[in-house]
Amino acid sequence: MDADPLAAGVNAGQPVGVAIVDDHPVVIDGVRAWLSSEPRLRVLATGDDPDTVLRAAPGAEVVLLDLRLHGRMVLDKLAELSAAGRRVVVYSEHTDPQTMLAALDAGAVAFLAKHEGREHCVATVLAAASDRPYVPPALAGAMVGDARPDRPSLSDKEREALLLWFQSMSKASVARRMQISEHTVKQYVDRARIKYTRAGRPAATKAALLARAIEDGLVRPEEIGIYRSQASADRPTP
Amino acid sequence: MATESGTTLAGGTVVHTGPAVDAAPRLRPVARAGTAGAVPQAHAVADASDRGARLVAVGIALAWHLAVSLPAVLAAGPGMAAPAVVAAGWLVTALVGVATGVRLLGGGLPPARRLAAVLLAVDAAVFAAAGERFLFTTANWVWGGLAWFFLLVLWQRPVRWLLALLAAHATIALVAVVLHGTTAPADLSRYAMYVYGTSTLPVAVFAGAAALTALARDRAGTAAATLAVAAEREAAERARSERQARLALVSGTAEEVLAALATGDADPADPAVRRRAVLAAARLRRLIAESDDVPDPLLHELRAAADLAERNGLPIELVAVGTPPELPVDVRRALADPLTAALAGARGAARLTVVAGPDEVVVSLVTPDHDGPDDPLPPTDGDGPVAYLHERDGEIRWTQTRWRQA
Repeated sequence: MDADPLAAGVNAGQPVGVAIVDDHPVVIDGVRAWLSSEPRLRVLATGDDPDTVLRAAPGAEVVLLDLRLHGRMVLDKLAELSAAGRRVVVYSEHTDPQTMLAALDAGAVAFLAKHEGREHCVATVLAAASDRPYVPPALAGAMVGDARPDRPSLSDKEREALLLWFQSMSKASVARRMQISEHTVKQYVDRARIKYTRAGRPAATKAALLARAIEDGLVRPEEIGIYRSQASADRPTP
Repeated sequence: MATESGTTLAGGTVVHTGPAVDAAPRLRPVARAGTAGAVPQAHAVADASDRGARLVAVGIALAWHLAVSLPAVLAAGPGMAAPAVVAAGWLVTALVGVATGVRLLGGGLPPARRLAAVLLAVDAAVFAAAGERFLFTTANWVWGGLAWFFLLVLWQRPVRWLLALLAAHATIALVAVVLHGTTAPADLSRYAMYVYGTSTLPVAVFAGAAALTALARDRAGTAAATLAVAAEREAAERARSERQARLALVSGTAEEVLAALATGDADPADPAVRRRAVLAAARLRRLIAESDDVPDPLLHELRAAADLAERNGLPIELVAVGTPPELPVDVRRALADPLTAALAGARGAARLTVVAGPDEVVVSLVTPDHDGPDDPLPPTDGDGPVAYLHERDGEIRWTQTRWRQA
């Protein structure tokens, strides 16, 4: 699997503070175990209530949020946190495409299916900490199958990269198949994700993702907002 | 959540985000058959009840015409002002009655307006032809007998039509009474009694028959609805028990693994044990994901193939995004067959995905590559609407079929 370690260009030395919100202690323990094997991450607080957890760890850079807390979908809480600039990585067993896209619309930095495993989890959190996108395969599937009328307009290459990544879960295989480099595959996938920052209501986290994407040269400022025109200009940016 | 990631988890996890299609296609026909049987049955009851009422109405009208009107006309005979006209009227009415009766008992309805006009014409003619002497006698047969024929020709029409016809009848009678000069108070009260007496009974019969028919239809409808509900419940219960049987089977397997782990008989480090656990978990999750049911044939086929492969011990993940459009059978076959064939040769684990939109459906199977023989080659027609792709890169074997709206 291609959990990209490059995504973690986080402030060197200082580990990223993570807060975990889940109503199942066993899941918290499991995720904590995953993250603890990664020196660049440190779990600051855990619990089943977002407000309590964030009071305990106001400096947490990334919040891992279970989308279903005590039997209720907390999309509203997600939107509230995202609007306040909290980088929320949603992780959930609810992997139907509608839910995933709704989480992106609400401002989640990333969506991780609970079964997607350690590498994706670590990579997602590291990417989120630096406002960079990370698209695990399940989310790629939801994006490529997005049939909503107001969906972002993806280029053919972006769609193909998402589709093949969703199918194979191997960026190396996608790269061979598309006859491009793995790096370029990732760029296509990430660019598709950045286009989703324009969907749904605005959120501080979306703006941050977009700003970082421009800074990284993933998208050009003049491309933003007129994504329809990008079908012709989908060559990877250097 | 397992802490073991990589291939084990990837293979063992079964996410199913698209619509499941297992129970629905099998069960729909059951429900439909039950409902379909109930409706005609119920209608038959209603129709039989209506037919009885028609028979009674035709019987009353013709019996009255033969047993009451005819003898009176014959007895009065030449004494009337124009016996021929009276007799002709009787004959015309008899013809109308027979024709209407035949139509009614055959299940149809007579042409109400035209026949009503004929009857009113006969009404006026006979009133004029009977003469003053026979005005209030049975020989003026239209007064008492014609209302029954109104009933026949207006069968199943709104009751106000009958009331209107009876009002016309009463008006004709009043005109006759006035023209014949029989306007003494006793005559007028006789007139009123006649009108009342000759109208009430037909109206009562007419309204009664209509009410009975409505009631029968109502009851028939209720019976049909009850039967339909029962059939649907039966189908749902069957689906539920089927699913429960499979759940019992699957949880049995899962319990065995868990029990063995708990007692220490099975070692979590043992690859065989891990594989059993992965398989049991995969089955359980697939079953749980089966709750929604949109009967899509393509997903149904793939699901069946996945079930089969899983029974042979292959942990398989099936993820569907979107709902496939309705596809011709050959397209569906071209999409599914190469995948099911490849699935038969899969080893280790498999990931089957479907991404569907209104004008594109892509089905893909990815399995770890192995040294075994290559998968069977697909149909050779490269020009079809379905593109086929198969490749192995040492890491994975990748089979993909793709349909695009031409």
